[in-house]
Amino acid sequence: MDWGFVIGQATANGLVIGLLYLLMAVGFTLVFGVMRMVNFAHGEFYMLGAFAAWVCTTRLQLPFLAAVVLAAAAALVLGALIEWLVLKPFRKDELNGMITTIGLALILQNGALMLFGPDPHAMPGIAEGATTLMGIAVPNARLAVVGFAAVVLAALYVYLRHTRGGRALRAVVEDGETAALQGIRARVVYPLGFGIGVALAAVAGALMAPLFSVSPFIGAAPLLKAFMVVILGGLGSVPGAAVAALALGLLESYSSIFLSTSTADMLLFVLVIVGMLAFPRGLIGRGEA
Amino acid sequence: MTPGLSMPNTAPAARQPAHAAWQAAGFALLAALAVLPWFSGPFALHLAIQVCLNVLIVGGLALIDRAGQLSFGHSAPVAVGAYASVLLGQWLGLDSLSALLAALALAAVLALALGWVILRLRGVYFVLVTFAFAELVRLLLLDFAGVTGGASGIAGIAPMAVAGFAFDTRERFYALALAVALLSVLLLARVYDRPLGRAMAAVAANPALAESVGLSVLRVQLVAYVLGSTMAALGGVLTVRYIGFVSPESFATAASVAFITMLVIGGRGSLFGPLAGAIVLTPLPELFRGAVQTQHLFYGAALIVILRFLPGGIASVPARLRNLRGRA
Repeated sequence: MDWGFVIGQATANGLVIGLLYLLMAVGFTLVFGVMRMVNFAHGEFYMLGAFAAWVCTTRLQLPFLAAVVLAAAAALVLGALIEWLVLKPFRKDELNGMITTIGLALILQNGALMLFGPDPHAMPGIAEGATTLMGIAVPNARLAVVGFAAVVLAALYVYLRHTRGGRALRAVVEDGETAALQGIRARVVYPLGFGIGVALAAVAGALMAPLFSVSPFIGAAPLLKAFMVVILGGLGSVPGAAVAALALGLLESYSSIFLSTSTADMLLFVLVIVGMLAFPRGLIGRGEA
Repeated sequence: MTPGLSMPNTAPAARQPAHAAWQAAGFALLAALAVLPWFSGPFALHLAIQVCLNVLIVGGLALIDRAGQLSFGHSAPVAVGAYASVLLGQWLGLDSLSALLAALALAAVLALALGWVILRLRGVYFVLVTFAFAELVRLLLLDFAGVTGGASGIAGIAPMAVAGFAFDTRERFYALALAVALLSVLLLARVYDRPLGRAMAAVAANPALAESVGLSVLRVQLVAYVLGSTMAALGGVLTVRYIGFVSPESFATAASVAFITMLVIGGRGSLFGPLAGAIVLTPLPELFRGAVQTQHLFYGAALIVILRFLPGGIASVPARLRNLRGRA
């Protein structure tokens, strides 16, 4: 076996997976940072994003790009509405807020189950063939997904860094009370923060839909990965989530060379539990315990 | 008493006669409910047994919650109890009672070791780590198929037997389950009423203040965690002895969600919360037969509505009604 090739291929795969974990985890950690709410419904928004993309492309015959944008916009509006109507009384109330999102997850998942049925749906691929670079082959469909994800993350970065709304969000993450004293309006920022967070999950779902199948149950696995990333990266820390997501993707990809998937999964859980105990504020980033 | 330190179960010294009458009526109703299943056919008995086992398991969760930590992995100790009693029984050739005791001991030791480490985490961090641990337990059970039977589980488990008397019919097993459920409520009542229970409430209300008056937060929470996990393990042992089958599927996240749902809807922080939650929620799936979605949809909506408008759960309704009347 040519080790250089195997490692190179694993690195490419790991980065692709890591980027998608990142999309999930950034939204999750943003929601926690803004309203200190562990959103157990995050995975269901991933699922809804995948279904939105599926409906847009197969039923409405829209191009994939439009489907992703529509999925994100729909999730943003739905998320903001849910925050405003359901979650408002539980802002900053960590435990009850979390239990509320468990209820929300039950409603969203089983609502989708009633609407779409339990069977998985296939979505047409968005690109064919593969690109080979320095001996490493990556399917074009995955490359396209990586491109989309990178654009979305770059846009998020610019938004958070250089716009009024983004600055307001970051200020609330830093210190909600001081932000309020500076005239940042909570009634806008909270729904907006939640909406952006779940829209990122929906984008991840829409991007993954052509690679995997679409069913009401697909939200659980990415939610679990988002947990791991965010715990390792520090709850509420966006840079921490970025590093942890890529590290987790690479780690999974490398370990799959040597270990069976389930063994690798268990080792990751052990790593997360140990990491959480040893570094409660996150292994990598500066979380807020 | 410090402000913010709530003692939900301290009844006023002089009870009003009307209150006592209502209470007596409530207990009479519960007693009637408890006896009824014996005369209502196998299906009602089956439901009643499940209610009893849930009272026990959710009671364990309530005890841990009482000390201020919410476990989102309460299916883990249930799984440990269930598998340990079956496997220890097989390996060591134990009868069902010795296997039960061995399983409880193992679960308690495991909870002690785990709790000593993870109880240092607070709030959502504890929730997340228990969630991750329960997933790990389920994966282990799936992966070590040579020992646990993997996804297909273990079938043909012998029923519970004590001194030659086998609890092998529904009627007999219900008697056992009812006794255990009653004992679990009594245990909670006794713990809550003692200094230990007060210490738990104090630790939950304000850990820093509790430490400053000399309570060891870790130790108090550890006692609650070990006791609560052992109760869950007993629930697991009894469940497999009743069903005669065990598989990792029974211990997925959905199980932990169901336990939390019962606790919250029944009433966190109140003695009768687990009882109310188990009685109301266990039979629900049967009402929505063939439509699991509808049932879960209802669970979700009920969770949100209860948290929003009745944070004390169903168990707080009588006290609320009393307050309303008192004000009028």
